[in-house]
Formats: sequence, C-alpha cells, structure tokens
Amino acid sequence: MSAPIVVIGGGVDALVAAHWLARAGESVTMIDERGQVPSSTSGWIPPEVIRRLDLAAHGLVIGAPDPWLSAPLPNGGRLDLWRDSARTANAMRALSAPDADRWPAFCEQMREHAAVLAALYSAPAPDVMTRDWRELLHVAKIALRTRRLGRARLESFLRLVPMSIADLLDDWFESDLLKGVLGAAGVMHLHQGPRSGGTALAFLHHHVGNAPGVFRPSHSNIEAVLARCSGVDRRANVRIQQIDVQAGRVTGVTLVDGTHIAATLVVSAASPWQTLLDWVDAAWLEPDAIRAIRNIRARGVVAHVVLTLDRAPGFAALAIAPSLDYLERAYDDAKYRRISHAPLIEARYVAPSGADATHAVIVQMQFAPYLLAEGSWDASRKQALVDTVIAAVANHLPRDAILSTQCVSPADAATDDGFPAGQAHHAELALDQFLWMRPTPSLARYRTMIGGLYLCGPAMHPGAGTAGASGMLAAQTVLGDRGQQR
Amino acid sequence: MAAPYEAIVIGGGHNGLVCAAYLARAGKRVLVLEQRDRIGGAAVSEQLFPGFTFSVFSYVVSLLRPEIIRDLELPRHGLHVLPLESTLTPLPNGDYLAQWNDHDQNRRELARHSLRDAEAYDEFGRLMHLMSRAIKPILGMPPPDPASLLPRDLMGMGRLGKYFRDLGAERFHALHKLLTMSSADYLDEWFETEALKATKSASGIIGALLGPRSPGSAYVLLHHYMGELDGVFRAWGFAKGGNGSVSTAIAAAAMSFGATIRTNAPVSQVLIKNGRAVGVVLNDGEELRAPITISGADPRRTFMQFVGAQHLPNELVDGIRRFRFRGTSAKVNLALSEAPNFTCMPGVGAHLRGAISISPSVDYLERAYDDAKYGEFSRRPYMDIILPSMIDPGMAPPGQHVMSIFAQYAPYDLKGGWTDAKRAAFGDTVIDTLSEYAPNLKTSILHRQVITPPDIERMIGLTEGNIFQGELSLQQMFFLRPIPAWARYATPIEGLYQCGAGTHPGGGVMGASGRNAALTILGKMK
Repeated sequence: MSAPIVVIGGGVDALVAAHWLARAGESVTMIDERGQVPSSTSGWIPPEVIRRLDLAAHGLVIGAPDPWLSAPLPNGGRLDLWRDSARTANAMRALSAPDADRWPAFCEQMREHAAVLAALYSAPAPDVMTRDWRELLHVAKIALRTRRLGRARLESFLRLVPMSIADLLDDWFESDLLKGVLGAAGVMHLHQGPRSGGTALAFLHHHVGNAPGVFRPSHSNIEAVLARCSGVDRRANVRIQQIDVQAGRVTGVTLVDGTHIAATLVVSAASPWQTLLDWVDAAWLEPDAIRAIRNIRARGVVAHVVLTLDRAPGFAALAIAPSLDYLERAYDDAKYRRISHAPLIEARYVAPSGADATHAVIVQMQFAPYLLAEGSWDASRKQALVDTVIAAVANHLPRDAILSTQCVSPADAATDDGFPAGQAHHAELALDQFLWMRPTPSLARYRTMIGGLYLCGPAMHPGAGTAGASGMLAAQTVLGDRGQQR
Repeated sequence: MAAPYEAIVIGGGHNGLVCAAYLARAGKRVLVLEQRDRIGGAAVSEQLFPGFTFSVFSYVVSLLRPEIIRDLELPRHGLHVLPLESTLTPLPNGDYLAQWNDHDQNRRELARHSLRDAEAYDEFGRLMHLMSRAIKPILGMPPPDPASLLPRDLMGMGRLGKYFRDLGAERFHALHKLLTMSSADYLDEWFETEALKATKSASGIIGALLGPRSPGSAYVLLHHYMGELDGVFRAWGFAKGGNGSVSTAIAAAAMSFGATIRTNAPVSQVLIKNGRAVGVVLNDGEELRAPITISGADPRRTFMQFVGAQHLPNELVDGIRRFRFRGTSAKVNLALSEAPNFTCMPGVGAHLRGAISISPSVDYLERAYDDAKYGEFSRRPYMDIILPSMIDPGMAPPGQHVMSIFAQYAPYDLKGGWTDAKRAAFGDTVIDTLSEYAPNLKTSILHRQVITPPDIERMIGLTEGNIFQGELSLQQMFFLRPIPAWARYATPIEGLYQCGAGTHPGGGVMGASGRNAALTILGKMK
C-alpha cells in the first residue's frame, strides 16, 4: 500500500483533490479546519471533475436561476436579465434600443473569448520559460489553438485582456444601468474599480463555464456532494499547528492538539501565505521566496450579510449597481480604507431545503475593506453595515419579513476561513497574478520548494472563484510526480 | 516628368522630421509639410513674452533614441543636452525628499527618510536598468502581426518568443509585472517612504487617464529608466535653447541630407486615386504629388480627417473609433521676476536646476485622479516643474526666470466643457497649490500661459490633446498600436504610411516611431 497523502483545508479544491487522489487508489486523509460544509459553492466546475468523480450520480445540482439577475430601474421597475438572450434583449429595449440590438453579438463574442480561457483553465498554466520539450509542445499547442481563432477574434481577445471593464462596456453599450450590472462582475472580490485595467479579464474569468449571456457565476452543491462521498478519511474541525519537514521533504502534519499525522505527500488548499509562512518553519525557505509570498496581493473587500426571512423575496438574484460611476465611487471609498457609503450589492435568494425551513437571502456587499482607516470591524460597525444593506434592498424585500441577520466581515473571513486579509480568492485575480504568475512564478505549478508539499486552492491557477479546477490540476500533478518516482 | 518628390511627410513634429531625415539620408527626395509657422509640433521653443523663451509643450529630453542621435549626428546640428541633476519633492509638513544624481548624496538623503529604502534603492535601480535594457530592442522593432501567417510575421513572433526566453525566468517575470501592475503596487513591493513611492509612481501616470493605483501604470515607470541608461544622456536632460532645439537639430540634419521643409502648409486631405495615395491637397487647394505619403499626425486625424472613412475598411474605422485619446495633461508656463523660494529648501541652489515634483503621497495623486474620473480638473494637481532659465540662462532676461509646469489632471472631457473661465480657474489652482510650497511665487509672476488639452488639440493638432497621440495603455501598445493589422506603419491605402507616436512604440520625444517607419518604407522601396 502506498504512503498516505494528507490534504489540508476545507473548500471545494481540497475536496476535489482528495477525492481525485482517492479514486486513483491513494489513501487520503483530509484535514478540514472548518466545522461544516457550505450548502452552496459558486464558480465553474470543470466538466472533467464532474465526469471523473461521478458527481451527477451523487446528486450534483448546478443552479440556473431565471432571470439570472434583476436590477432596479431608476423609475421603480426592474430590468430582468434572462437566460434566453432574445428575451433579455427584449427586456432591454425599453432602456436602449441600440443596446438591445447589440446584446446577442456581445453574448456571442464573450462566449467565444471565455472558451479560450476555459481551455487554458483545463490544464496547468503554460510554463513559457521551460526548456522541457513536452511542456514546450504544450505551449505550442495552446499558441496554435489560439491562432486558429482567426484574425478578428484573436485581436479582439488580445485587446480585451488588459482592458478595463468600463472601456469594454463603453465600446458596446450606452445604458448606464446595463453597464453597471455587467461591470459589477468585473470587480467582484477585487480591490479595483471598473476603470482599472484587468477588470475585463476578471469579467471574462467569471463567465467561463456559464451559459451564453449569463454573467454571474453559477452556484452548486458540489461541496455538500463531495463531503457525502466515501473514500476519504475526513477530519473536520481540527486545527493545524505545523507542517513537518525533514531534510527538505514533508513528513506529516502536526495538529494543535499534538496529534501527528505522518505523510509523504501533503496537498494544501489553504493560502500560500498560511501554508508556507505560518505552517512551515521559515528555515526551509529562501528569503526571496518569503518576500515573493508576502508580496502576493490579497486585499479583502467583501462583507457578507445573511438575512433569514419568513417568506420568499420577489427575486432570485438582485444587483444594485446602477452605473459604472456608482461602482467607481464605491471603490474610491475602499481606496482610502473606508466602507463604501453607496455599495455594490448582490443579493441571492436561497430557498428552504431539507430540515432548514427558512428562506434566506445572502448579500455580498462591496466594498468593505479589510483594513480600515479608522477603527476596526467591531460589532457596531457590522450592525451599521447590516443596516446599510437592509436599507438598500428595502424596496425589494419587506423589512418585516426579516427574521434574523448575520454579518461576516472581511476580518471574520480572515479569522474563521484563513482568507489572507479576508480575501476569498487568496490572491487577487490580476494580470500580474495570472497564469504562470499565479500566485508567484515559482509556485505556479502546484509544487513548492518543500519536497512532497503541493498547493491547490483559490490562489492557484485557475483558482479565484472556480470550483475544483485547481484541486484537479494539483492532484494530477501529484499523480504525475508519483508515477515518475516509481 | 518625374514627380519632384519621392515622399511627402505630413507634419513637422519630431517623428515626421526623423522619418524625413532617414529617408533623405538614404537619398530619397522628401518634402515635409508643417501646418504652423514653425516646425517641431509639440517640441517647440517660442519667445512667448519679450525676453522669455519657453519649451511650450514638451520640456525635457531623455527618451530620444541614441541611435537617432548618432545616425543623424544631432550634436553637430546643434543639439546640446544639459542634465537635470535632481528631483525635489516638497512635503506639506515643511520637509522634503530629494533625489540626486550623485549616488552618495542620494543615499544619505534617502537614509534620512528610511534606511530600508536607501538599501533597496540600488537594487531597484539595478533591476530597472536590466528591464529597460530588456525592453530596448523591442522599441526599435516593427511589431510582428500575431494573426498573420506570412513567413515574415511568423519569424517575427518566433524571434520575439526566443528573445523573451533568452531573458531568463527572473527578468521575464519582472518584466511581466512591470507591464501589468500599477505603479503604486509595484513600488509598494520595494519602498516604504510615501514621498518616494509617490514621486516615482507619478512617472507612471504622465499623459494617462490613470491613477498610480491603476494597473498598467507601472510600465511607464520604465521609460524613466530608459532615459537614464543611454550612454549619451546620464539622466533626464534639458535641451539648450528649449525643446525646440531638438526639432531644429533634426530638421537641420534632414535638410543637410537634402530634404525640403515647408511651414505654413496645412494639409487638408490625402489625395487618393484608385485606392492609392498619390499625394496631398493643402488647405488652399494646392496639390502636391508623390508616390509615398507619410502621416506624422495621430491615427484619428490621419484616417478620419486626411483620408476619410469612405476609403477605409470597416474594421479600421471601428478600430480608430475605439482608439482612446482622452488627454489629461496641461501646461502652465510662467515668466517670473525672481526665482521661486521653496520653504523646505530656501534660496537659490542646485535643487532649482533639477525637477520639482508636487507628489507628496500616493493618495495625493490618487485623489487628483479621482477628480478627473468624474470630469473635473484636479483640485490639487500633480505637477512636474522645471526652471529652464536656471539651467540655460539664455531662456530669460538676467535675474529673471521661466518656469515650466506640467500639470495633471485636466481632462479633455471636462464636465460642462472648457471655457476661458475654466482655463483661468485651472491656472489659478496650479499656482495656488504651488504657492503653498513656494510662497513668493504669486507676487513674482510677470506673465502666464495656461494650455489645456483642448488648447493642445487646437494649437498643434493632437486629438483630444493627448500628448502621446493616444493612450499608452497595454491594449494600445505594440501590435495593437494604433490598431492590429496596421501596426507596422503601413495602412490599407497603398502608398500611405504612418510615422507618429500613435504607432509603436509611442509617445515621449523618442523618435522611434519616425525611425521605424522610415526603415520600413526604405525596406519596401528597394
């Protein structure tokens, strides 16, 4: 029997990596610092993950709300964006006829561009500096496939990548509201405004795997499904003290309670910061490596407010993002470490399920910077944020329907989930933290400077809100390296 | 009868002149047409007030390619560059940060603010030097077309790939970061002194509607170091006689090779017969013919005004429509009765022979940008100031001075539009802000000239007043400048070429676009 593999961390990538390795015949112990598994996970699940882990047979459900988004109109009504692009175009006609006319072409172009990313996300990031001929072949294949897009699409893709989402949307549309709700997808979880370069890429990133014309990440029960699957020894609610290293190789993991779990291979879905700087003795790392890890940009900007309700609200998903300027001003506040006085709000309805008979609305509120210019994330500040959110959705959700409220600030996310500076993506999605640069050039291929220690999770390619892709790619890397050793 | 000219260059800016000089040097009969009464475009010296000579628009030299200086023997034709020795950043608390060319002096000053920064400074300089060396060959290269299957382009892409790989991983990754990060984020990785980060990151926002925290601004940082490493110039320099001397030296070189230059000759359109450019028509109706026409004007003027959409493929018209200008830079030129007296460093000293930068903190610059984002001019603008008369006393009467203030942001699309009152208000804002650091400024002003982006557009024809003939953002660089497929100086109109800063590698008084265009054209003429 092969030596055990330890997978660290909760989250979808850890679950996928653990089950992927278990299916390959490895004995896997999973150490999950969290107590419970969330019922819903956002982001693209690579088709390979669904196939290989038989997720459909185990009850995977990917939500497809229709309309996928509603946005309040200035005059009191709502703009509904439907999964059917003709129907959306029809709804948009009242706002702007030219925008309605351009909508199908925009959706088609974004679908084509996202397909380029989907292909890049189904393999480890190309290592363009390699001397290994197999890797070079892989890079050449990507280059060739990209070339086959044809001139017009290739040029428009290359031009889009460094752009700001504001510039991209200004090229296509005139309606402030439409640009606002689409632009919101470009700044999600980012410490950037819609006029910042690279936000068009973020917009496209979150479109990967979505139906054409749907520009919000889908939600699924993948974590709940995987947590139910057998084959992995899963220990929840335990705290890690350190990752044990001898002679430059991992030997196991020691828990806070003193338990030592021996392992020849460790795969961590925790952030590179936590994994390498908190858990590994600094003596094993070069100063340059430490500096590079410290320089990974991760700045939390999102607060979540969970509202439980006695009835269903009148929407599936609601976005308050009336214009690009509105988003930009919301970001301006964050720039100076203030909570947005007029924030971007994305509210999502979660219907009662199983034993839980209450209705819920999960609100993602941006910008709520982790570091504040004045004060800290104390109870009164969180209450003020809840009040802001309730006021913002008041026209769409009767106040008397609210049974209870709960606020998760970026500071809470840092403490409870180990998110560096409260950033759920562990490393912000930006052009300098993308592909072979994600999260740092030397960590980009899931291996670390410690023998037998691997990384997966949001910080790792393609990461940042995709569900399970980095877990799969890290597991494949582990298996490939094992195969070579044997 | 053979046409008297083999090539006509539209626009006597420095790129047009460089292009003409290279063509003439290769024995071609070239005519340069300049709309104004003087050559130079944005690189002109003018005596705006009796006794006071100004570099009206661009005001420093650094990026001008050394191969151009060498090939055209510009020093022999009158170019003399005097170094700027320092950058002084006055701080609101009465202190200052100075950066000196002298290594030891600089280190002592930095150490006064932060020992860590003094340590990091040399290492930072070394890396930037390596990076600018890495990017240099790309400036002199017509960009290959990644969508083309022509052997020339495939080989070009191959060479480019090999070039990047030969840099080695460390430098390649550092270059990747410089090309994509914001200047503030990039500098945060190196330094902790706020004024140092701000003053350095300020070079990343010049000419752009970007803040120091906007991704993409780090690349322009690199330009500063490109200037510093060329053997000819130790640092940023000032052309004796003002920046017009750069233009007159290039023009003198061009004429020495036999080029003809006509001023007061505004072009109204490019003459097109059977899909070919055959010459130009001037505003007064005069027709001038040549088998090759080269436009030094920006892409929008070239294609939309001189050619006209009816002659062009739809993709190009769309591309030009999407090409972004959005000028944000203004210039305030002052004639002073005495030198400014800075509270933080009183008296007349070496610091007045360098640049003075009003950039006390990254947040200061970012707030200046915030105003511009929503269509206002900065209430507290960023400024880069030099006193040419301190370096070259011939610029002003004895004891008196000229001051050149580059100020940002003054967005072209000002809410409510630019009026005389708005221009005056912006000038007042600039002077009020500067007076906080140099209180004697207000009473010493004899004359002032305020130039906003619409003024730049009106005076020298730069669309929307963009000083780089189009934003230098990643999506408008290299093979995307000005539009993909037509980034190699050629156009869809046979016989018509582009040589302005709207083509690769773009703005700054660099001349590389003019030279690359000339070499491309000469390659085709053979």
